[in-house]
Amino acid sequence: MRLYLELARRAFQQTLTYRGAALAGIFTNGIFGIMIASVFLAFYQSHGSGDAVQGWTRDQTITLVWINQSLLMTVYLWGWWEVTRNIQSGAIVTELLKPYDYFTYWLSRDFGRALAHFLVRGVPTFLIGAIVFDILAPESWLRAASFLLSVAMAVIVSFCLRFMANLAGFWVLDYRGIAAMFAAIMNVLSGMLAPLAFLPDPLRIVANALPFRAVIMTPNEVYLGQVPIWEGLGFQMLWIVILIVSARLLMATGERRLVVQGG
Amino acid sequence: MTEPIISARGLTKTFWRRSQRKGMLGAMRGLVDRGGTEVTAVDDVSFDIPAGEIVGYIGPNGAGKSTTIKMLTGILVPSSGEVSVAGHTPWEERRQLAQKIGVVFGQRTQLWWDLPLSESLELLRFMYKVPERRFKHNLAEATDLLDLAPFLETPVRQLSLGQRMRGDLAAALLHEPPILYLDEPTIGLDLVAKTRIREFLAELNRSSGVTILLTTHDLADIERLCKRIVVIDHGRIVHDGELERLKARFSSKRQLTLDFDVVPDLASAVLPTGTALFDQEGPRVRIAFDRHERSAPEVLSLMGRFGTIRDMSIDEPAIEDVIQELYAESARATA
Amino acid sequence: MGNIADIRSDIGIALRIAALRLRGQMQYRSSFLMQIFGNFIVNFAEIIVLWSLFQNFEDLGGWTLEEVIFLHGLSMVMFSLGDTVANGVQTVPELIRDGNFDRTLVRPMSSYIQAMVNEVSLRHFGLLGQGLLLLGIGMATVSTEWTVAKLLYMTVVIVSGLALFAALFTIEAILSFWTVNSIEAVNAFTYGGSDLGQYPLHIFRQGMRFLFLWVIPVGFMTYYPSLYFLDKPDPLGLPAFAPFVAPVAAVIFCFVVGKGWTFAIRHYRSTGS
Repeated sequence: MRLYLELARRAFQQTLTYRGAALAGIFTNGIFGIMIASVFLAFYQSHGSGDAVQGWTRDQTITLVWINQSLLMTVYLWGWWEVTRNIQSGAIVTELLKPYDYFTYWLSRDFGRALAHFLVRGVPTFLIGAIVFDILAPESWLRAASFLLSVAMAVIVSFCLRFMANLAGFWVLDYRGIAAMFAAIMNVLSGMLAPLAFLPDPLRIVANALPFRAVIMTPNEVYLGQVPIWEGLGFQMLWIVILIVSARLLMATGERRLVVQGG
Repeated sequence: MTEPIISARGLTKTFWRRSQRKGMLGAMRGLVDRGGTEVTAVDDVSFDIPAGEIVGYIGPNGAGKSTTIKMLTGILVPSSGEVSVAGHTPWEERRQLAQKIGVVFGQRTQLWWDLPLSESLELLRFMYKVPERRFKHNLAEATDLLDLAPFLETPVRQLSLGQRMRGDLAAALLHEPPILYLDEPTIGLDLVAKTRIREFLAELNRSSGVTILLTTHDLADIERLCKRIVVIDHGRIVHDGELERLKARFSSKRQLTLDFDVVPDLASAVLPTGTALFDQEGPRVRIAFDRHERSAPEVLSLMGRFGTIRDMSIDEPAIEDVIQELYAESARATA
Repeated sequence: MGNIADIRSDIGIALRIAALRLRGQMQYRSSFLMQIFGNFIVNFAEIIVLWSLFQNFEDLGGWTLEEVIFLHGLSMVMFSLGDTVANGVQTVPELIRDGNFDRTLVRPMSSYIQAMVNEVSLRHFGLLGQGLLLLGIGMATVSTEWTVAKLLYMTVVIVSGLALFAALFTIEAILSFWTVNSIEAVNAFTYGGSDLGQYPLHIFRQGMRFLFLWVIPVGFMTYYPSLYFLDKPDPLGLPAFAPFVAPVAAVIFCFVVGKGWTFAIRHYRSTGS
């Protein structure tokens, strides 16, 4: 346990050192936030602003836009491919021999990284949104605290999904195609581009049941009071259990393949 | 002396080294103000190189060798000073100059990693607009002299360092430049490869009269190739002249090796003033002396009283020692 | 950057280099197709969301779904072409960091054009294909009359937009002569510019409109020409020739960026001792 805490702490500090990049990133997230929020404002204007659309008021949707821009880096929505690169360079063979659990090793590091990104990228981006647009505050302190918990769980769900996508490197030679598709799926099914409620019916029902929702949509729903707290957190918890089991099974299969091929 | 083909006057390059700032606020401040210090990499350097000469440009790491070469090739714009290379101001007339110089950076290749050597050379032919017949002739010659044939069709990333260097040399010479700049051309190569490169360069200079300016850490390159060396330290030229003159200047310390008939007992003996025992292995004794205090015959006759001398030799100072001493002297001068 | 004859010969050599390198890449065909497909999918997903939004809302600032799809297509075509042309330019930060930019300065060829072919890839063709598809769908479904003049001007506009986006990527390269950490901020103008160009400009706030019209003239490449193509009035009240300034704006922008490149080269501080 000490080892994993230490790994998380190091990843946290390492992420904090790139300050110039953080400033540039906040600027970029800010510009995109302003753009996307403007598009939604224009859509709501066509509708007569006060009314909710599919249960989403204008201000709720704008708040979602800014939460999304703020969480983008924290949950590494578009993926990270270090494990794939390790698999394809062959470095994984020696890494697997090391006296720690491979999955937990990366999870700890990712958690440290996520915390740093939440502080240096997420919070400032959200502040920009709060200054430039009318953003809703959480209804209660309980909701606010649950939101933070939900973000932490979102990081774990996102990590499991990313980890499994990385393991595709055992079977596929070039990960760039996978990376592009992963980003596309995440964009739509997590609720990054728009609340899932706006999707047409069969797609919406499917998207609401899938784990991608737990990465972006659930923290939003918890923050905005769209779902009871226990339901949101329960949904994430359920997927965390399923995904950790699946990721480990997939990892075991990949490792067997490695052994068969002799690395 | 003929008209110099390379000439530098008061060449100076200063860099602005920005200080790192701490913290988020520091990063933000770093964007606006420009705190830092000015570093002079090359300081008032002047020299002339006549056509057809091979000049070694040496100095310790960070002395300003590469910075000078980069100004002579037009990569860097000097802070002040004038340069003329084959009649061009390098950074003003890069395109024209490029046709007249060949450049080899030992640590980097100018070939395309993903293409076979032959295709890289073919592309350079178009870039330098070498007529087809000249190209074929030059390629054949290079293939012969540098023995490129075995790996001409191999992608560059698969070549060994020595092969790649030969390929780079061929690439730098395709357009028959009258000037060749070499930055560490033998770095990382094994002895056989080094010798091969040296022989090739000597032959190139002899047969085609190509002017060569080379920087190196390997003083064997210098001894084999260069009559003249320019030594730079802390951005300033500390020596410019014939290698032999440099040796003469710093060769006040000499060594006399004497083979005695029997093992002389020198441990307790008082040696003549101006000499010192360097080491002793049985009957063989090495005496160090200062040329300005004692002449060799003097030392020889004075040592005669310790026994019959059967054989003797005087050692020239090694070039490494000479250069070491030169750096030490320049360090004392700056201190 | 040299005279016209030099530039023409440089482009000839650049095409040769590009052809040789592409031939090498084609050996990995499946990976190549996968990338194009992935690229296609990414933006296809965005179109599904756009379509969904139009199912829930009436219009976007007075524009119909068909009109917005046309605008999306136009912006994506320009962006993907500019991105492809400037593919190698985007590797300048790496070239500088690894000390390999030096060699471009000792060859008798424009260092910019050499940088352009430092990396050659067709991966953005997925996006281009999709852009063309959307542009086609948009053109076929909007209620406007297509004339030869409009089609000809659209070609001019696409070339202008290509140049603008290539120039934006060049700004990133220019900044990398001084800083490596902060260049991500330029993404706000390249990718951000392309995204913004996909929506009617008048829905954005004053500050954004100013930025993407007068500083980075994306609005003059996509929005204003589309007002002419789609026969729509200008709610922002610029003079009537505003739809036709695209080529002029592109030339001015590229000129300024070109000056920036020359300045950067003069201040290049090669790495290493």
